[in-house]
Amino acid sequence: MRRSALPSLLVLVVLLLGWEAACRFIPIREFILPSPSAIWAQSYAVWPNLLRHTLATLGTVMWGFLASVAISLPLAMVIAASPAISAAIYPLLVVTQSIPKVALAPILIVALGANELPRVIVTFLVAFFPLVVGTVAGLLATPPELIELGRSCRASKLQELTRIRLPFAVPFVFGGLKVAAALAVVGAVVAEFVGADAGLGYLIQTSMAFFKTPLAFGAVLVLAAMGIVLFQVVSLAEKLLFPWSSGADQPPPGM
Amino acid sequence: MIRLEGVGKRFARGDVEALRDVSLHVAPGEFVAIVGASGCGKSTLLRLVAGLVPPSSGQVVLAGTPVVGPRADTAMVFQAPTLLPWADVLRNVTFPLRLMKQAAGDTEARARALLATAGLAGFEHRLPRELSGGMQQRVAICRALLQQPRVLLMDEPFGALDALTREEMSLELLRIWSGLQMAVVFVTHSISEAVLLADRVVVMSPRPGRVAEIVPVNLPRPRGFGQEALPEFQAAAQRIRALIYGERLPRAA
Repeated sequence: MRRSALPSLLVLVVLLLGWEAACRFIPIREFILPSPSAIWAQSYAVWPNLLRHTLATLGTVMWGFLASVAISLPLAMVIAASPAISAAIYPLLVVTQSIPKVALAPILIVALGANELPRVIVTFLVAFFPLVVGTVAGLLATPPELIELGRSCRASKLQELTRIRLPFAVPFVFGGLKVAAALAVVGAVVAEFVGADAGLGYLIQTSMAFFKTPLAFGAVLVLAAMGIVLFQVVSLAEKLLFPWSSGADQPPPGM
Repeated sequence: MIRLEGVGKRFARGDVEALRDVSLHVAPGEFVAIVGASGCGKSTLLRLVAGLVPPSSGQVVLAGTPVVGPRADTAMVFQAPTLLPWADVLRNVTFPLRLMKQAAGDTEARARALLATAGLAGFEHRLPRELSGGMQQRVAICRALLQQPRVLLMDEPFGALDALTREEMSLELLRIWSGLQMAVVFVTHSISEAVLLADRVVVMSPRPGRVAEIVPVNLPRPRGFGQEALPEFQAAAQRIRALIYGERLPRAA
C-alpha cells in the first residue's frame, strides 16, 4: 500500500514546468490560462484575503461534515436495525441524491436567509449519503457467526449493536468518512457559488467577474489542498484510533 | 446431561423439515460425535442444544431443565474462528465472559493459563489477523473453554483447517477435554475424526434429518493415531460408512 511519493512528485514537477514553459513560449493571454508563476504571484500578493476566504470555506465544510456525521451514523443504525424502516427510508434517501444540490441551493438560501445555515445544509446534503450507505453496509456485513456468538453469550440487541456490529462497521464508516470529507468541500463551494459574501467559491466567482483568472486558479488549488488534507486527517484519525481497521482493506483471514 | 426427546425442527422459510423425531442422551463428560451427509440437520441439532433455535416439536433438556434460550453452561465453537478482528487474542478469549458480565478478578489469569495450554503463550496481545488459521481456531476453542461450560458444542471446528493441523488439533482437544468434566457434542464430516475422538458416533440420515444409528467406539483412552490400524477402529469406521452411503457405495475389487 505504502509506495514512495517520489515518482508522482516528479511527474507533478514536470507537468508544472511544461505548463510554465507553454505559457512563456506560446502567446496565450493570462485571463485564459495563467502560468503557475503568475498564479503563485497573484495569490501570494493577497494572501491575507485568500486566508480569510479559506477559513470561511473551511468553517462551512467542517459544520457540514459534522452535521453529516451526527445525522448519518444514527440514521444508518436505524436503517440497519429494521428491514421495515430500511424499506421506508432508503428510497427517500435515494431521491435526495437524485436532486441536484446546485439546483436546491438558491431555493434554500431564499427560504433560510443569506447566512451560514443554508450553506451548511447544502454541504450536508452533498456529503452525507456515502456515509449512510457505508455505515449501513458495515453494520449489515457483520458475519452471521459473529452475531450467533453474541446470541450464544446472551447479548441483548443493544449489546449486539455496540459490542459487535458497530466495531465491525468501523472500517466501512471510515470509508464513508473519507468520501464525505472530500464531498463536503464540493458541497461548500457549490453553496458559495449561489449565495455567500466570503469563501473560496465566492472568491472564484468574483475573481472571474474581473478576469482575475490567476487568483481563481489559486483558490481552486487551495480547495484541492483542503480536500487532500481533510482526507488525510480522516485517514490519520483511523490509524491512531482504530489501528486494526486501517489494515483491513482486505478482510482478515478466516472472516 | 443432554436429553433430546422426540425433537423435530421445521423451518418456516421454504417449509424445510430439518429434523424429525430425534432422541439422544448424552451423559455428563461424554464425547459424542455427529456425522452425516450435508443437509442432514447436524448443525441445526447443535443450535437446538445451544438454544439458538427453538424446536418445532419435542424438547431439549439440559441438566434437568428445558432449553429455552442460550445458557451460560453451554459454549459453542464454530467452523470459522469468528474472532473479533479489533480485539487482541486475550480480549477475544475473555469476550463472552465480559459480555455476560461474569468476568472476575481471575478471568485474565485463567485466560492466560488456557492460552498457554493451547500453545499460544506470547500471543496474548496479537490481533487475530496476525495468526494462522489453526491458531485462530485454538483461540476460539480457548474462548469457549474459558466459560467453563458443562456442554461444549462444536460445529465442524476443524473443517476449515488443513489436514495436518486438523490431526494435531484433534489430539490437543482430547488432551484438554480429558482434564475437564465436560460433555462434548462434535459435528464433523470426517468419519475417522469422529471415531478417533468420540465415545459414541451418532450417524444421521438426511431429508429430513434423523438418527440412523448410534455407533459406540470401544477404543481405550488416551486415543492416538496408532489406534487407526486396530480392528475396532476399522469396524466402527466401516459401520458408519455403510450407514452414510448405504447401498450406493460401489465395492472396489
